[in-house]
Amino acid sequence: MKNRLKVLRAERDWTQADLAQRLDVSRQTVNAIEKGKYDPSLPLAFRISRVFEMPIEQVFDPEEGE
Amino acid sequence: MKLPDSLGFLCSGSERDRRNQLRVALWSLVWAFSFLAITLVIKKNWLPYGVTIVGVFGTSILGIVTILAHRRFLRETDELQRKIEVEALALAFGVGLVGGLTYWLLAVRGGVPAKDFIYVFAAMIITHPIGVLMGRRKYS
Repeated sequence: MKNRLKVLRAERDWTQADLAQRLDVSRQTVNAIEKGKYDPSLPLAFRISRVFEMPIEQVFDPEEGE
Repeated sequence: MKLPDSLGFLCSGSERDRRNQLRVALWSLVWAFSFLAITLVIKKNWLPYGVTIVGVFGTSILGIVTILAHRRFLRETDELQRKIEVEALALAFGVGLVGGLTYWLLAVRGGVPAKDFIYVFAAMIITHPIGVLMGRRKYS
């Protein structure tokens, strides 16, 4: 599953650590999601969309699988 | 209390994770030392039987405290760290199961001494941190 985490984070000038703190996860988790190595759970995906204040489908793209 | 960065090689994740991981590591060490000490006491027959039994149960209690510390870490850590931990535990369990049964077959056949079965547990203990390191590498 592809995502726009890195772009959205850069638009807000946040570091991975900043985003990790907002999501209450480790920096490694943010890094793994950005690189597509780890797909977040549904609750975390919703938390991410809430942090970026946009619908979940604008952050994650389920059509483009691995 | 904030942990110093010099302990980063021991722990990873958020400050909460680091604290919980350090707690697990410390309790594991205490339990391991207690286990070694009581093993030595039993082998050398240094203490009366009753005191030795108290020592054995004391060591078990330390082991239970270690399990509870590990459970707390797993509950409070984030989902990726939990996944890494579970994969590492599965690897250690697999090594213990396969290694243990293989060792048991060899012991039945008479190829290895049954009393050295403890090495199977040692292999499990060593495999777990290796699994954690492999997981961290896989997801980084």
